[in-house]
Amino acid sequence: MAPPDNDVLWARSLHCALGGSDALSGVSLGVREGEILAVVGPRGSGKTTLLRCLSGQLVAQQGEVWFNSAPVHTLGPAQRERLRRDRFGWIDPESGLVPELTGWENAALPLLLRGTSHRAAKTAAVEWLERLDIGGCARKRPHALTQSQRQRIAIARALVTTPSVLFADEPTATLHRADGAQVLRTLTAAARSHGITVLLATHDDGVAALADRTVALLDGRRVAAVPPATGAEGVAACSLSV
Amino acid sequence: MLALRLVRGTHPLVLTRRLLVAAAAAGVGFLLLCTLGYAVGHPERSSASVLRLLWCLLPLAATVQFAVAVARTDPSTRPRPGLSAVGLGPARLTAIAAASTAVACTLGSTVALLFYLHLRGDITGLPFDGAAAGLLAADQPVPLAAALTLLAVLPVAAATAAGLALRPRIAPAAPEGVEKTVPSGLPWGVALVAVGLAIETYASRSGSGNGLPLPGGFDGNPTGVLAGWALTAVGLALAGPGLAHGCGRLLQAVRPGATRLLAGRVLMDESRRIGRPLGVVSAVFSGLLAASRLYGADGGSEAFGPLTGLGAALILACTTATLLTAALESRQGRAHTTEALVRIGAPPTVLRTAALLRAVALLIVFLPLTWVVAELAALPLRG
Repeated sequence: MAPPDNDVLWARSLHCALGGSDALSGVSLGVREGEILAVVGPRGSGKTTLLRCLSGQLVAQQGEVWFNSAPVHTLGPAQRERLRRDRFGWIDPESGLVPELTGWENAALPLLLRGTSHRAAKTAAVEWLERLDIGGCARKRPHALTQSQRQRIAIARALVTTPSVLFADEPTATLHRADGAQVLRTLTAAARSHGITVLLATHDDGVAALADRTVALLDGRRVAAVPPATGAEGVAACSLSV
Repeated sequence: MLALRLVRGTHPLVLTRRLLVAAAAAGVGFLLLCTLGYAVGHPERSSASVLRLLWCLLPLAATVQFAVAVARTDPSTRPRPGLSAVGLGPARLTAIAAASTAVACTLGSTVALLFYLHLRGDITGLPFDGAAAGLLAADQPVPLAAALTLLAVLPVAAATAAGLALRPRIAPAAPEGVEKTVPSGLPWGVALVAVGLAIETYASRSGSGNGLPLPGGFDGNPTGVLAGWALTAVGLALAGPGLAHGCGRLLQAVRPGATRLLAGRVLMDESRRIGRPLGVVSAVFSGLLAASRLYGADGGSEAFGPLTGLGAALILACTTATLLTAALESRQGRAHTTEALVRIGAPPTVLRTAALLRAVALLIVFLPLTWVVAELAALPLRG
């Protein structure tokens, strides 16, 4: 079955078992070009696994993944790696910067890996750092920066190649609320202005409100909406009995 | 007991490293026992026995260095949050590291003792019974206390060194990627190499001209030459980190691409860890080169006995293995950075090329250096 033409990324009935439990069981998903799609669900609901399957880091045991009407699940590891390098961007909850490199070198690394010249890579990286309000961090090493500055460098590193799809796996999980909101606003603004499709995995409903569309996952399945967390068991009964 | 229990579930590669430590310990133990045998057999030549014992210090030091390097890379001695929560914190882990090092070395020493007794003919029933009975003074009883004391030296030294190297620091560890200062040992190292070579030249002039005596055939007063060579070796070990840092700096200079940038910066930051064992290996190789120049020229078959060969092989193997273990430790320390790089799509070839580039750069600097030091050391001794 061929995917619909207007979907940049399309997955059909993904089944993926990790560590003895079904991380994904029968998830289908279509991502339209240029949209910001939030994947919400509590911890352990399969958000990260879904993103890893879609970005080709992981091959699902069953199911298909198509990118721009070309299959991803049939590609070999080297081709998937090239796809990741050339078309996708990835942001982790931890920034994952190279500790030996300065801010701009970290941001320019994907361009350098593609073989862009030193000067061009530096110009592009410094431009992105300025755009994300961390121009002053360009010459510092990651250890000398705050968590939110590091995370913004990671965002710059993901955006510097202007990828087709940006995968953001809980990008604000380790940040304070104010820092997190600001980081997320810069991320979504930059993605919208450059027409980059974003897949945003989050367990925070406030974060999901920034997205165009929301997909909810629970225990590895797509659900209509994540049920709200109930209070502690027995609390209501106790209050009645008094 | 926990140290022994942890051994049971350990990865075969880790066990192999520990077995290598045990093998090195066995070699050193055997050398020490042979020295004892010589001393028992020739009570009148006490200065020769002392010289043999002194020569045993070099393999002993190399083995201790290797044991510490293995203890550092041992996964069971790395702090783990889960174990720390149940009370197995850094202090207990240090004790475990020291204990497992002591166990490996004691195993080696026991093997050495059994092998020694077997070659003397005290333990029978295997091939080569008493094959070296004459050499090892089989007609005299083994002084048991002396043998046990000699055999205990290595386990105690190695366990103490491992415990000191891995002891919990009061100050919190610096966060990963802190810009490390340039290693300051380079000028000191160069000065020590020069002083060592000068002492060697001076001492060899006052000798009878037969060169540096090895335990096989000795003559004259070799202490000065030996001290000179030791100073040269210390100097090379001190200069190693500075040289490695310089290599890294050159690698990442002038508009680097991704490969050169990663190779150079990592080498600059790892220069202490890699540079020191590399300097030691360089010193050992230059010593061996100089020795082969000296004794190879005039067919010194009587200078190189089988025990000299064993000692040289031990030093060479231990220092090289220490260098490889240090490289492994550095790779383990950077594992999660590598993982992050792979996630953003860095091809493994780039990472491998970076590692290769580092190795080549170090070889280009250290090979000529080793050769030059060897030539300079051999020059006065030959004349």
